[in-house]
Amino acid sequence: MTEATDGEALLEVEGVVKRFGGVRAVDDAGFDVARASITALIGPNGAGKTTLFNVVTGFQRADRGSVRFAGEEVFRSPAYAIARRGMVRTFQITKALAAMPVLDNMMLAAPDQPGERIRNLFLRPAATRRREREVREQAGELLEVFGLEGVAGDHAGTLSGGQRKLLELARALMAEPKLLLLDEPMAGINPTLGKRLLEHMQRLRRERGTTFLFVEHDMEVVMNHSDRVIVMAEGRVIAEGEPLRVRQDPAVVDAYLGGAA
Amino acid sequence: MSLPSAFTLEAFTNLGFWSGVLVVAGIYAVVTLGLQLNVGYTGIINFGQAGFMAVGGYSMAILVLEAGFSFWLALPAAVLITMGFGVLIGLPSLRLRADYFAIVTLATAEVVRLVAQNARDLTGGNKGLYCDFEGGSPVCFDDSWRSVSDSILGFVENFWSDPEPLLPLLLVVWATVAIGIVVLSYVQGTPWGRVLRAIREDEDAARALGKNTLLYKLQSLAISALLGALAGFFLALFLATIHPDDYEPIVTFFAFGVLILGGLASYKGVAVGAVLLWTLLEGTRFVELPISEEKTAALRFAIVGAVLIGLMALRPQGMFGKREEMVLGD
Repeated sequence: MTEATDGEALLEVEGVVKRFGGVRAVDDAGFDVARASITALIGPNGAGKTTLFNVVTGFQRADRGSVRFAGEEVFRSPAYAIARRGMVRTFQITKALAAMPVLDNMMLAAPDQPGERIRNLFLRPAATRRREREVREQAGELLEVFGLEGVAGDHAGTLSGGQRKLLELARALMAEPKLLLLDEPMAGINPTLGKRLLEHMQRLRRERGTTFLFVEHDMEVVMNHSDRVIVMAEGRVIAEGEPLRVRQDPAVVDAYLGGAA
Repeated sequence: MSLPSAFTLEAFTNLGFWSGVLVVAGIYAVVTLGLQLNVGYTGIINFGQAGFMAVGGYSMAILVLEAGFSFWLALPAAVLITMGFGVLIGLPSLRLRADYFAIVTLATAEVVRLVAQNARDLTGGNKGLYCDFEGGSPVCFDDSWRSVSDSILGFVENFWSDPEPLLPLLLVVWATVAIGIVVLSYVQGTPWGRVLRAIREDEDAARALGKNTLLYKLQSLAISALLGALAGFFLALFLATIHPDDYEPIVTFFAFGVLILGGLASYKGVAVGAVLLWTLLEGTRFVELPISEEKTAALRFAIVGAVLIGLMALRPQGMFGKREEMVLGD
């Protein structure tokens, strides 16, 4: 096992195959995501982006392949174990925990809370309370960063679609991720909030060295805000590189304008 | 047609009768606390509480009568057996979608009951279990409890010349309910309880945040099994027998009635719901109508059903449920 260093890939995906019956939703797909990069994953509808996301994060079992995260094989590890290693995802349709307050949504995501083990509730109540205080403070700060401090006590179900997207990102950050996988973070939110979300991504990368991999359909966002673009079509990765170069790749143009899309 | 001619006041004020009702209500409160944890706070629909009661009650009685355990050792042993049984059932089935899990638990409870009915050598079949008459003097599973109960009554006689014989059981059952409510309410407010609520809201979101959701669901089910086992003991002591007919699915569904009356996501609602449901069910015995007794008996259930429907229409969250959580839940 090699210790990953700067510039090396944080995530290495190789030869992933996922069949649904006779359909190969992901067909021998592979790519790398560099540390502290913002990488976009694009492709026409049905290209297999979300399925690949699900495989990488352990939400779906692939038939074959390899997923290495920070130098370690996590292929077919359970989703929760992958998340604990620092690869945290969000969902295309936000999964706000609707009947829980916004603050509880945030606090839930914090790692290393001894009070999440039932025996510690009786054996280590002090450690539990101490961690709760830390986590509450941290959650409050993050909510402020995302402009959600005013709704901390409200149930998450009462938030607007855009606020939920922000909450989901803020909540994922509470989990202290090394790599954040965002599935269509801009979908269904107004441009002002979208802009704020992008600024947050840039800032987190700058300040914390967080790595981002996101699925997005808005080409302007992809071209202006990512270092690298991975293009999928029909379950395969057909192009990979800097945004401007990828845009001019004939295979990409073909996939979007000509092919099965 | 005349109005209900009378409530037979004599029966209505019968202490022994109402003590029995309160014991039954307490037993249902214990069972339903488990359901509240599963359904109200974890979002797993468990239709198998009657099965856990049966496993608890039968294990205890068999350990005492067949394996020669002391009653006090048989209780914790039977609790562990029931919890283990819960984990065994949950391990394969909690991966299923909520509705399939519900079917598995219902079927499991029926399997337990049918095994109890047919494994005659072990469970006494339809004769049930109470005492072992082999050898000299008969040994009954509740001998130890009877002596404790008698000494409590002996003590009470200092203040009350003719104490109600059910009083000791009544106290133990409701003390269990009270402890259950306090402990469960405490754990619900902790980080552990927060993970359970997150699973209820969206299991995938909880997994994506690094929570081993299967483990939490198993814990929730195991605690529910523990409460089921306790209720099984109390029922066995109350009826002084263990019989397959006492663990029919209707027991679970009465418990769901308690849960709905009291309201989801409230432990104290469970206690109030249990008292209300059983007061309604038993209190309506005294309504005398100019119709046959069988019809009156059937009518009692119709009345309870109508009350439940009315409540659902006027207050769908139950007495103590939180309407906001209910509306936002989906």
